[in-house]
Amino acid sequence: MSQKNKTTFKGFDFIRSSGGIEEYTLIKNGLRVLILEEHSAPVATFMVTYHVGSRNEAIGYTGSTHLLEHLMFKGSRNFNKEKKTAIWTELQNIGAQINATTWNDRTNYFEVVPSEHLDRAIAIESDRMRYAFLKDEDRQPEMTVVRNEFERGENSPFDVLDKNIWASAYHAHPYHHSTIGWRSDIENVSTQRLKAFYDTYYWPNNATATVIGDFSKEKALASINKYFSEHSQSKEPIPPVYTEEPKQEGPRRTVVKRVGQTGIVGVAHKSPEGLHDDTYSFHVLSKILADGKTSRLSKLLIDKGLATSVFMYDFPFLDNGLFITYAFLTPGTDHSKVEDIILSEYKNIVENGISDEELKRAQAQIRATVAFSRDGTYAVASALNEAIAIGDWTFYTTFVNKVEKVTNKNIKKIAKDYLIEDQSTVGWFLAMEPKK
Amino acid sequence: MGIFSEQVVINRDIEGVESYVMPTSATDVVTISGSMLGGSLHSLDKNNKVPSMTAAMLDKGTIDKDKYKISDILESVGAELHFSNTLYHTHFTGFCLKNDLDTVVTLLAEQVRKPSFSSDELSILKTRIIGNLERNKEDTKKLALIGLLRNIFPQSHPNYRETIESSIDLIGKVSTQDLLSFHAKQYGLGSLKIVAAGDLAPESFNNLIAKAFGGWAHKKSEIPRIKEKALKTKGATKEINVPDKTSSDLYLGQAIGIDRDHKDYYALMMGVYVLGGNFSARLMQSVRDKQGLTYSIGSSISGVSFGADGYWSTWGTFAPDILKKGKKATMEQIQLWFKNGITEEELSAKKNTIAGSFKVSLDSTSGLSGKILSNAEQNRTVSYLDKYPEIIKKISLLEVNSAIKKYIDPKNMFAISAGTVA
Repeated sequence: MSQKNKTTFKGFDFIRSSGGIEEYTLIKNGLRVLILEEHSAPVATFMVTYHVGSRNEAIGYTGSTHLLEHLMFKGSRNFNKEKKTAIWTELQNIGAQINATTWNDRTNYFEVVPSEHLDRAIAIESDRMRYAFLKDEDRQPEMTVVRNEFERGENSPFDVLDKNIWASAYHAHPYHHSTIGWRSDIENVSTQRLKAFYDTYYWPNNATATVIGDFSKEKALASINKYFSEHSQSKEPIPPVYTEEPKQEGPRRTVVKRVGQTGIVGVAHKSPEGLHDDTYSFHVLSKILADGKTSRLSKLLIDKGLATSVFMYDFPFLDNGLFITYAFLTPGTDHSKVEDIILSEYKNIVENGISDEELKRAQAQIRATVAFSRDGTYAVASALNEAIAIGDWTFYTTFVNKVEKVTNKNIKKIAKDYLIEDQSTVGWFLAMEPKK
Repeated sequence: MGIFSEQVVINRDIEGVESYVMPTSATDVVTISGSMLGGSLHSLDKNNKVPSMTAAMLDKGTIDKDKYKISDILESVGAELHFSNTLYHTHFTGFCLKNDLDTVVTLLAEQVRKPSFSSDELSILKTRIIGNLERNKEDTKKLALIGLLRNIFPQSHPNYRETIESSIDLIGKVSTQDLLSFHAKQYGLGSLKIVAAGDLAPESFNNLIAKAFGGWAHKKSEIPRIKEKALKTKGATKEINVPDKTSSDLYLGQAIGIDRDHKDYYALMMGVYVLGGNFSARLMQSVRDKQGLTYSIGSSISGVSFGADGYWSTWGTFAPDILKKGKKATMEQIQLWFKNGITEEELSAKKNTIAGSFKVSLDSTSGLSGKILSNAEQNRTVSYLDKYPEIIKKISLLEVNSAIKKYIDPKNMFAISAGTVA
């Protein structure tokens, strides 16, 4: 992290730099800006990350963040169908890659554009930050679009099992429900409620703008200043999420039965919040358990013909998350046998730790993955987006150094502290025969 | 001149190997991609799964190293090597840090030159693949696409697809002898193409290639000539019932009778792009954005490479209870498109999209290497990549609308859906 090389740009306060990325604040309204000049291709990525996700929802309006994200493409003051400047048309007609995503802790809107069109992307994002239409006549058809997205997810046995595991592991905390929300909430949430959500969270002081690529820093910041300075900061403070998950006092189980072909086992344990020091150890452990043919669970499950694939789910979140092993079973394989093997391997880690060789291999894998996350402007923005979501963008730039410091002792400790039965939630997908 | 003509360095010093190197300002990382002829159309007998199983066994051990040793070498430096198979080619893709390029290229050569094809590993692989195929039996999109292709192409056509049950049966019959025979016949120098993009120097990469692949036996191989043509079908509708599904997949399609080298191909492609190529295309704007009937809908031309006469298809997802309504709305758009053609404004917008997309595709080393390889496989010069936006720019509205009329016949489309019948 560096405070040196402080550069002055009109309208901005320089905050810090790390890994070549500089952080500024737009003085007018508190918009945080992350900027990195990168000239390897004539391309730029512009992204706005709002610090709001399904974590900020409650019963009755689950899925609102995501539904709102869809409505944000329906038009705003300067970019709309009436003016023949609809967002998709404006951007796709210049060859831009454009989309938005919603997850637990954040919502992001991004454009990868030929660099000469960066100004247009900035103008669009500024316009919809405060001037999105959010009409009821647009919500009606978009609700059914989102409902079909929900229905497509429900087609997948894995998606259904994953939702059930999170809903069992979290009772009070909003990680209980998935980002897409519950079907009845998607269908019934009012436009008024969505507008209120927008007016609560879509403000410059609750957002981070990221700009990476082939441009001059001075011009890009001038453009951000020009378009975003027209907004004031929020009149009310952004409301915090104060719901805490009560202590889990025993193992939980969930079973999903549906017509299907093969089974799935998921073994989940509560893990710490993303910025906790133990996060790095968890990431190393996930590599050792299930990344590559030499990983422990690949040898124990795939090579023994018990699973077709095995992978870990260990994404860091703003609050506590889940460390989950998923195994897709081969036809005829017994769920309990696979569950026992996974738990037995956890016990093995608790008792015996890992080898130096395993640790070094996992650290090398992570080093290379992070290097590839710098391959392209979108790759950098995408990785930064997740770090922004958990509360500190330098999580991305300092990640490798922190991973290099993980020791065998750290791995044994997290296994002992977190991979315990009382903190577990086990899920089975049982593939049923169709009714005759 | 253009970015590819200026920056890609081609080397053919070793007979039977073409290397394409594109140094970029990416830091530390290199992406490798490559291929040689040896796809499922090259199978020696009726079991067309032998080529894909041969490719899938390449990372399961060599004569000198078992699969753990191979993985250990790669994982200890965080590198990756993957093998796959298409109708025409065996492909490989690698990702590594620049300092590990020697290790990765040397290992890649060993894996393709000296695989062990262990019977134990073949048995494990079969279990995995059959398990995945069993899971595909509930994949509504895959089932609908297979159904479409089985109905518009004859069995001996490259675009035909066997049923999932038949694939499982064929996988079960593959033997180590099949793999050895296929490898002996097909794998070698001749059609090998290797592309590398990222933080590397062409000369040192070519030295690595020479060291790793020099002396490998030459194999004669060519793209199989496509003799069969698509079936002449009449409009028909089919439903595949998949229990407990909340979303159905719908395909509407037909054969077009031309390949991508045909003079009308780009005009037809642009017409289809206006109908359903991206979010701002007609189908997404009408069936999704305006009517809210689907999360995703699109239209494209496929199966047109290497002389195969391809097909046009439109795909969308709908809740089972509005499938009929969704299909009707989709058909209305297709009819309108067919009847009136597209406008000059639409064509101009999509030309700009393609020119801009070309620049955006230069964003990463994997995007670059994939583009260069795909172009080389089609036996096109690198300069073609630079000229592509210009080729598209020259297409006229008359050409597009004539192509739509000539190759599309909405009255004789095959319609197939897979999902829980409402």
